Amino acid sequence: MPSATVNKPRPSELLSRLTSAEPEVKVRALREVKNQIIGNRTKKLSFLKLGAVPAVAGILADSIDDVTENNNCNNTNNFLVQSAAALGSFACGFDAGVQAVLDAGAFPNLLRLLANPNEKVVDAVARALRMIYQSKLAPKYDFLQQKNMEFLISLLNSEKETVSGLGASIITRSCETNLEQKALFDAGILRKLNSLLEGGSLSQRDASLESLATVFRNNPEVISKFAGPEIGRPLSSIIDLAKDRYPRTRLLACMCLIVIRNASPHFLQDIGIKTKLIHILLELLDDPGQVGDEAPFAFSSLIAQKEDLQKLALEANAIDKFHHHIKKGSLHPRRYEGILLALADMCSKLESCRSKFLSLQVLNLVADALTDYNAGVRAAACICLKSVTRSIKNLSAGYFMNETIVIPLVQLFLDPSTSVQVAALGATSNIVVDFTTRKSIFVQCGGMKQLVQLAKSMESSVRSNALWALKNFVFQADNRLKEGVFSELTASLLSSLIRDPEPSVQEQALALVRNLVDGCINLIEFVFAEDGLILGAIGRQLQCASKAEIGIQGMYALCNVASGNEFHREAVMQLLFTQMGDKNQSFVVKFLQSNDSQLRTATVWTIVNLTCPSSPGAPCRLEKLRNAGIVSQIKNMVNDPCVDVKVTIFFIFRICFLFASLFWLT
Amino acid sequence: MASSKKLISREEWEKRLNNVKIRKEDMNKLVMNFLVTEGYVEAAEKFRMESGTHHIDLATITDRMAVKKAVQCGNVEDAIEKINDLNPEILDTNPQLFFQLQQQRLIELIRNGKVEEALEFAQEELAPRGEENQSFLEELERTISLLVFEDTSNCPVGELLDISQRLKTATEVNAAVLTSQSHEKDPKLPSLLKMLIWAQNQLDKKAAYPCINDLSNARLEDPTF
Repeated sequence: MPSATVNKPRPSELLSRLTSAEPEVKVRALREVKNQIIGNRTKKLSFLKLGAVPAVAGILADSIDDVTENNNCNNTNNFLVQSAAALGSFACGFDAGVQAVLDAGAFPNLLRLLANPNEKVVDAVARALRMIYQSKLAPKYDFLQQKNMEFLISLLNSEKETVSGLGASIITRSCETNLEQKALFDAGILRKLNSLLEGGSLSQRDASLESLATVFRNNPEVISKFAGPEIGRPLSSIIDLAKDRYPRTRLLACMCLIVIRNASPHFLQDIGIKTKLIHILLELLDDPGQVGDEAPFAFSSLIAQKEDLQKLALEANAIDKFHHHIKKGSLHPRRYEGILLALADMCSKLESCRSKFLSLQVLNLVADALTDYNAGVRAAACICLKSVTRSIKNLSAGYFMNETIVIPLVQLFLDPSTSVQVAALGATSNIVVDFTTRKSIFVQCGGMKQLVQLAKSMESSVRSNALWALKNFVFQADNRLKEGVFSELTASLLSSLIRDPEPSVQEQALALVRNLVDGCINLIEFVFAEDGLILGAIGRQLQCASKAEIGIQGMYALCNVASGNEFHREAVMQLLFTQMGDKNQSFVVKFLQSNDSQLRTATVWTIVNLTCPSSPGAPCRLEKLRNAGIVSQIKNMVNDPCVDVKVTIFFIFRICFLFASLFWLT
Repeated sequence: MASSKKLISREEWEKRLNNVKIRKEDMNKLVMNFLVTEGYVEAAEKFRMESGTHHIDLATITDRMAVKKAVQCGNVEDAIEKINDLNPEILDTNPQLFFQLQQQRLIELIRNGKVEEALEFAQEELAPRGEENQSFLEELERTISLLVFEDTSNCPVGELLDISQRLKTATEVNAAVLTSQSHEKDPKLPSLLKMLIWAQNQLDKKAAYPCINDLSNARLEDPTF
């Protein structure tokens, strides 16, 4: 039985009709393609693969030629409108489409057509260009060229909403540097945008808000010029729009105000506006669409790093509201990610927020998010955990070291996305600083072995974060645990990590050694394993340390080794002095002269351990240090600004006096 | 026993009302706004000729009404083409609305008994929407289940076949087109009347006065104790 006839041509058939000689066939095929792709991402992709975009761009180009030759106006306009609309639809929210349109060379043609006398043509073309400018792939607009600025001004001055909207979206996409922001201000663009805010239509107001935010971003100078007394009180129009009836306008107005707040310490700092912003954004969460999805991100940009705002938000029951929304379930991934990140920001500094979070049992929901199908959500859940696990009170109580959290977290170590891996490692680093006896749970679920595996990753950020987690894991851990880690790591791996090409990896590896050898004297043997591989690596790395942090961790590691027995101390001395023969200064002197007080502190502590009077070899070592000019260097540090250094130096002086008096005695 | 409420006589009330000046142009604009938003094209044009009140380009109203009518009659494919001619961005940036229209298309195919075509359409056009956006899957399943039931008038999802479903979609489409034209989707007149009712409720607590109970004729009724 024949199926009902639809007479729907196959896509390939449609495409061939696009090149037909008969204009009727061609225009009908063009319109059909346009109608099939609008709203339909799947069709956009399939037509794209068949090469539809160059074909449509070709029709556009041909029609422009017809216009110049004044051929058959109505038909030509129809072709222009349909092809521009089709190109615009390919570019709408679809990066592959944008790329194809640009590659087909349609962009300059579209620009030219903005001057076309027919309104419908201009509308279609302006929309298509705006779709392109909404993508990251849009060509960069050079505001600093005079004629470009003039063109932009003409766009903004246009009566047509589609055209002025295009002008605004060019600014929103392309304005990046302070120089460009200033150029836009000097050209009077902000005044124009402000007039669109006050007298324009809904879409013009929204577009204006986005552009203004772009021009204000990180530029306090432009902001104060704009908000200054000469132009009236333009900030008040933005504040009013934050209470507008349309949710999208409210959101964009809030985002603009937040940009202003964050850039400039003079504006919008009173508690009234802060509270209002918080309430508006929390209320926008109720919007079921894209506005509600973006609201938590705006909320984060408002409160991130700012304790006063986090406190206000806590009082406004922000955590309860976020909890309520996550509990509802079936969230759009973008919204889910946003809420998790907002919770992470809320709990990043204040213990009161973390307590509220934990008391509401939000932790279980966040643990669920660790296994979400969306990578952004998984990463956000880890970042949220990292914030919450900063709660020392709960860490000490062993609250987080349990299977509900640890098992899914360890699984994320193998996540295909690097950013998820790094985020999971970040959360783990906090959780393993567990002061109870529950660290073994982490070993039991395979976490420790996984961390060692990740320390061999190709990605340097994964290596350094894995080492960070291991460093925290062995912090004040019992000997058995430390031995387990060391035997899994092996001396050769650890020494190669100390000599890793990435400074951040070197630093974490040295810090790991520091924590490993701290405590029981038996553990110091680690650095001597396999012919002193690790000790040698430390020495070589300290010689060429590229930043202070590496020196600090390395010296503290040596400091801990020197707290052992005579053999250990002599080994450290040898390390310090193997470069003595060189023309190069010993790194010890370099470190003592460093600007970094922590580095100076670590170095003098090491010297204290080496010359501690109770050990028989101490006088000999002190003599060597004196001969190497290190003692006189220390004497110069009597007035060191850092208290830790001063106090330690005082110890060294006492040691010197003690030995001096002994010297007289013998 | 004297009432604590103040009594205002009809005479005094009317005197007070007369002191309030309302501009003719404002009233004309309200009427025009109502006619335009509701889509009464000919009435709007006649009113413009007779009162001199401006309105937005009538062609856009006519276009919008054509779209709404197409949906109401179940000619969804035609409606989609018309919307795209008006403004291709509407459906490109509104996945919810696009899905609703596609869903309506499927419903119409099922209503007309074109089962094979309906299945093919569901597979080719609607399933990808569900893949692109998981929240549509539930609605999609509901619609497909229409095919399962022999007696659609009694099945749990029977309401989808009801004319009210078409009207719902038509209203959504109308609102989307209005918004895209930067026109407000609701007329002002109902808001004014709601404000009147609210104000009267507030005043009721403090006074007895001639009030309007029947909005359609706006007749003042004498105050009662």
